[in-house]
Amino acid sequence: MTTINISQPLDTAARPDNYITHTRGFMSWALTLDHKRIGVMYLVSVLSSFFVGGVFAMLVRTELLTPGQTIPGVTADVYNHFFTLHGAIMVFLVIIPSIPAALGNFVMPIMLGAKDVAFPRLNLFSYYLWIFGALFTVSSLLLGGFDTGWTFYTPYSTTTPAGGVIPALTGVFILGFSSIFTGLNFIVTVHKLRPPGMTWFRMPLFLWAIYATAIIQVLATPVLGITLLLLIVERAFNIGIFDPSMGGDPVLFQHFFWFYSHPAVYIMILPAMGIISELISVHAHRHIFGYRFIALSSIAIAIFSFLVWGHHMFISGQSPLLNTLFSLISFSVAIPSAVKVFNWMSTLYKGNIVLNTPMLYALAFLVLFTIGGLTGIHLATLNTDVHLHDTYFVVAHFHYVMMGSALIGMIGGLHHWWPKITGRMYNENLGRIGCIIVFIGFNVTFFTQFFLGSQGMPRRYYDYQPEYQIYHVISTIGSYIMASGFFLTAYYLLASLFGGARAPANPWGGRSLEWQCASPPPFDNFATQPRVGDCYDFSAIRWDDKEQGYVVDPALDPTTNPRLAAKNSH
Amino acid sequence: MNIASTIFSNLLAGDPREGRTLWLPPQDSNLAVNSDLMFWWINMICYFFFVGIVIALVILVVKYRMKKDRPFRTDGPLHHLPLETTWAVVPLFIVIFIFYFGFRDYLNFMTPPKNSYEIAVTAQKWGWLFKYPNGATSDDLYVPTGRPVKLSMRSSDVLHCCYIPDFRVKKDLVPGRYSYLWFQTDNVTPEGWGHNLFCAEYCGTGHSNMNRKVYALAQPEFDTWLTAQSQWLDKIPEEELYFRAGPKLYARCQQCHSLDGTKGIGPSWKGLWARVSGGEGGDGKFVDGTGYQSQIGAGKQYQTPEDYIRASILNPGEHVVAGYANAMPSFKGQLNDKGIDAVIGFMKHVDEFDTKGKYLKEVPPAPKVSMK
Repeated sequence: MTTINISQPLDTAARPDNYITHTRGFMSWALTLDHKRIGVMYLVSVLSSFFVGGVFAMLVRTELLTPGQTIPGVTADVYNHFFTLHGAIMVFLVIIPSIPAALGNFVMPIMLGAKDVAFPRLNLFSYYLWIFGALFTVSSLLLGGFDTGWTFYTPYSTTTPAGGVIPALTGVFILGFSSIFTGLNFIVTVHKLRPPGMTWFRMPLFLWAIYATAIIQVLATPVLGITLLLLIVERAFNIGIFDPSMGGDPVLFQHFFWFYSHPAVYIMILPAMGIISELISVHAHRHIFGYRFIALSSIAIAIFSFLVWGHHMFISGQSPLLNTLFSLISFSVAIPSAVKVFNWMSTLYKGNIVLNTPMLYALAFLVLFTIGGLTGIHLATLNTDVHLHDTYFVVAHFHYVMMGSALIGMIGGLHHWWPKITGRMYNENLGRIGCIIVFIGFNVTFFTQFFLGSQGMPRRYYDYQPEYQIYHVISTIGSYIMASGFFLTAYYLLASLFGGARAPANPWGGRSLEWQCASPPPFDNFATQPRVGDCYDFSAIRWDDKEQGYVVDPALDPTTNPRLAAKNSH
Repeated sequence: MNIASTIFSNLLAGDPREGRTLWLPPQDSNLAVNSDLMFWWINMICYFFFVGIVIALVILVVKYRMKKDRPFRTDGPLHHLPLETTWAVVPLFIVIFIFYFGFRDYLNFMTPPKNSYEIAVTAQKWGWLFKYPNGATSDDLYVPTGRPVKLSMRSSDVLHCCYIPDFRVKKDLVPGRYSYLWFQTDNVTPEGWGHNLFCAEYCGTGHSNMNRKVYALAQPEFDTWLTAQSQWLDKIPEEELYFRAGPKLYARCQQCHSLDGTKGIGPSWKGLWARVSGGEGGDGKFVDGTGYQSQIGAGKQYQTPEDYIRASILNPGEHVVAGYANAMPSFKGQLNDKGIDAVIGFMKHVDEFDTKGKYLKEVPPAPKVSMK
């Protein structure tokens, strides 16, 4: 090593032509086949839905400030519509598509060094299915709304007079196909478009997570589609499938529903886990610890996810034998989850940690996921679940997992890839403050609900016994704190679009391929197919003042220096 | 934790019992003891791991912050098989233990003892009916202390769920099936207070108000109550039925039927009698478009207005009033002839009650049996 020659890889120089400026006009976006544009459109759609779902959440929390009616005009029926819409929008329109369809679409092909996903037209079709599904779901509001809860439990859902049940079911049915096609597309992309040198165990862990998620999407979502279709048929034509007064079985519906909806929980959390693997490793500038265990635990979680649906039904009249088996298998999910948490922590050991916004979100994820995961033990245990089932304890638990983990992971990923997507840097200090406000607000809101639930308050209650009020007041205050954190986040992210500093190709020091192309990426991602090394080897990464970002030092880079490659291989 | 515990327990005011902790209400059944012990152990495991993980995170983040003028350290291990295997296997053993103890106690919960005192429970939107072996019925649940009580439950419309937090028991009521729940409480419920009984499975408009009280009485008091309860309707003379039994029975109708003319889930009872008997207030229509008077009257489907009301209570879907959904459950088997008479009498004299169903005139003294 005589001279250290710091040079930039071929594609990192910001070009005047990028995917945003490549073509112009509304139609160039509406009919685009570019995975980056489709990802951005998903991102805008998902974040808009998040706002709408969040408004309903705030209405629910405000209504619960006092027993009985709090907001004038919000009767029990209106409240029931509120929490149903909050749940349905957040689950089907926000969390399920948020990471795979929005961030995954944008990042995955670039991580693979590919120009696009395997089926770009199918990708655009998925997006339009999402739009149609969302329109149907939201149009149900104009047609009388639906008050079934997002779970659509029969026979309530087949007998409720609310007029919007069938449009909502149709909407979710269509959204399901959007999800299936995205999953299919991603499976093929990972199988067929990996660049030379990227073996399965050299893929970024985000791709492992997206891949495991895609498998669940493709295998589980059809069951939801069939179930919802049966529900529509029963409601529209009085064909008795689930309603016992017509010879049906309401518990059968629960089996069908949770056969999809439990794996769906992992559709939500697995991609977030993938993001956390990236965030922790990149922002600690340290090789991920125990790559294989993390990668395989994603697959293990995907497999276990199909075998535990019955733990939603411990007191619903399912046989004790089934309950016993489902309880036992449910505990098995603890193992891969624990492996991931401990491996992420070990990645911090002897790292070079920078506490910027994405890293703070990753740490918030670790804390919140630990709480969400540990309280899952209370619920998987048969005798304690008898007391806790359908109380606010469950509400708190799944918000820790779905929001505190899946959504926080998504927002962390958004901050991580924001410079890549938009080409702009956001205000780092406001980012940290926003993350801390959201973290505090989240815990005030939802930790209180653990007490509320274990003290016996059932969920989906419009009115409640006055002794529970103090918990509700604290929880509602927490939700306002959290909302203010999200508004701050929205503010500085939007502000960065107009006044943010230009983002370098590699602002964090990442090693995977998306950091080897310009920010924002050019239309075709890479002019030539990039070479692939170990995407978690940070030894060749150096800060460059001129670039105001990180660059790869070719002399220290095993992909360009064969001598090092032999030494570093593992 | 003690401070928090004091804050929260004082705020759960009006509860005369001792023993509420930060996490759980007082234990008032045999099943609560083991369930709470399990809860406590799981909590301890959670505290241990949570505190450990957070402390480790803080130490790691502080110790391995990036230093500006220092090159990247790259000496961290890439993997460590023994360590990783350890933290996969240790949690496995912990959760197997937790599973086993939870399972053992759950079997107990699922197996009502043979000598249980059996109470039949019917749930419907949005109320409960408890029926005792001697035929007595009640809206609140009364149980004897010191012996196992088995609830044999069914629902007549949608899913409901019987949840008594103080007893740590809960079970869904599924239409078309029977489900069982049992518990034994040894503590007599303090005077002037009752345990909460909630519906825990979402069932629509009145879901959050579908809650009742549970009173545990010592066996002698329970027997006295039971005898009185089974006879209360029989002891009331026919002419006093509407104001003695009417308001009590109306309590189960008020969620859907108002007395002040407000349109609820069902039609208001204000002026109802006039409408169905063709008197003042005019005619009304059914969902099928026919008017009341074409269905009610001599030689028509319902000979008298009383027949129509009776049919509507026992088979509500037969003729639904225009503008309303077919939402009412049947009260067949829940109201005997005298009970139906009381409800019809109440409707006829609805002007004598306030909008909450309270009798406006003075109730004559001498009810022969005390009605709790």
